[in-house]
Amino acid sequence: MACPDCDLIQHIPTLAIGESAHCIRCDATLYRNQKNSVDRSLAFAITGLILFLIANMFPLLSLKALGVTQDGTLMSTAVSLFEAERPFLGLIIFLTTIAFPATTLLGTIYVLLQVKMNKINSITAPLFRFLRSTEAWGMLEIFMLAVLVAVVKLGDLADVILGFSLYAFCLLIVTLTLLSYSLNPHDVWNILRQKKGCNA
Amino acid sequence: MKTARQSGLVACHFCHTLSKLPEGVDDINDTYLQCPCCQSSIHSRIPSSLSRTWALLIAAVILYIPANTLPIMTVTLWGDGQPDTIMSGVIHLMDGGMWPLALLIFVASIFIPILKLIILIGLLLSVHFKSHWKPKDRTVLYRVTEFVGRWSMVDVFVIGILVMLVQFGNTANVTPDIGALSFASVVILTMFAAHTFDPRLIWDAINHEQIHN
Repeated sequence: MACPDCDLIQHIPTLAIGESAHCIRCDATLYRNQKNSVDRSLAFAITGLILFLIANMFPLLSLKALGVTQDGTLMSTAVSLFEAERPFLGLIIFLTTIAFPATTLLGTIYVLLQVKMNKINSITAPLFRFLRSTEAWGMLEIFMLAVLVAVVKLGDLADVILGFSLYAFCLLIVTLTLLSYSLNPHDVWNILRQKKGCNA
Repeated sequence: MKTARQSGLVACHFCHTLSKLPEGVDDINDTYLQCPCCQSSIHSRIPSSLSRTWALLIAAVILYIPANTLPIMTVTLWGDGQPDTIMSGVIHLMDGGMWPLALLIFVASIFIPILKLIILIGLLLSVHFKSHWKPKDRTVLYRVTEFVGRWSMVDVFVIGILVMLVQFGNTANVTPDIGALSFASVVILTMFAAHTFDPRLIWDAINHEQIHN
């Protein structure tokens, strides 16, 4: 294969499980051989979807001041910016914290199920390509860091109550990290390639 | 050792399938080639990578000015509104003794965006001048820039959360300001810029040398 970062053509030797191949010239990771990549990723993606739903159902954080409690969910972060007449900011937050993570999870489950059940159709490859190119735009882990910053910042002024969804949200971040680590795009592409009889 | 381009091959950006370039076809310009495996359009190098990256970077540099000079949010306490810029927000955190938080916001919102702009401009210049200086290190620098850039969004999310939670009428409320939008645009534009830059261009100057020797 050709290195994606420097275009040098190299032959990848057969790798044992857990090993990875790097470009001899620029050290880019060319291939990782992981155990049960498809099965594990599917498990993490389904877990992730369930946690994502729970994380959206209940308040993430509540703020209590002067006897009034203000609840905040994942969705209401985007909505409150629309209400504050900043529709573009609202849209950015909606896309990065809800739309892209949801499509990534649903799409990944769909593609992996197709791969697993050997029912690849004409949209599998374009869909997987779309998922790969939008991966960087799901920013839930960055939102998590923002939640921590906000909790510390507001902790001085008022009572911050951690919501039920926050626990689901923390587990979701762990699951998404495990998913991106276990999902090996090469395995999916190799299967799609075999179907079409192309060369690596 | 040869590159795909030197061997008359084109690698798919997504699935890495190698395709043979038809005789006499220009490998960079708009000839429409399709990957036989995943149907994406394939190019030996990202088309007009340098001009697109320059355009996005220049737009980001221009927006960087309002992002830092205009307020990102207004915090109103007891009817008394106080607009905050990114830097004044960091200073307030330091005054409040929350220096780890101040450091985090400083790194994510000021240090990383500047570093990213400088690195990408440097990489573009190095490709323009066909530099041979440490291509491997420049590639690593590119990978780091691409990876770390999205974390700058943390400040935008913090504003979102504050706006959502602090809604107590005139007693205490937070409203987002135009600086936040400029800042989010800078982050998004630099993410696109890093994405359209083709690191293989760094190596093309070196490949050229190897053929001639």
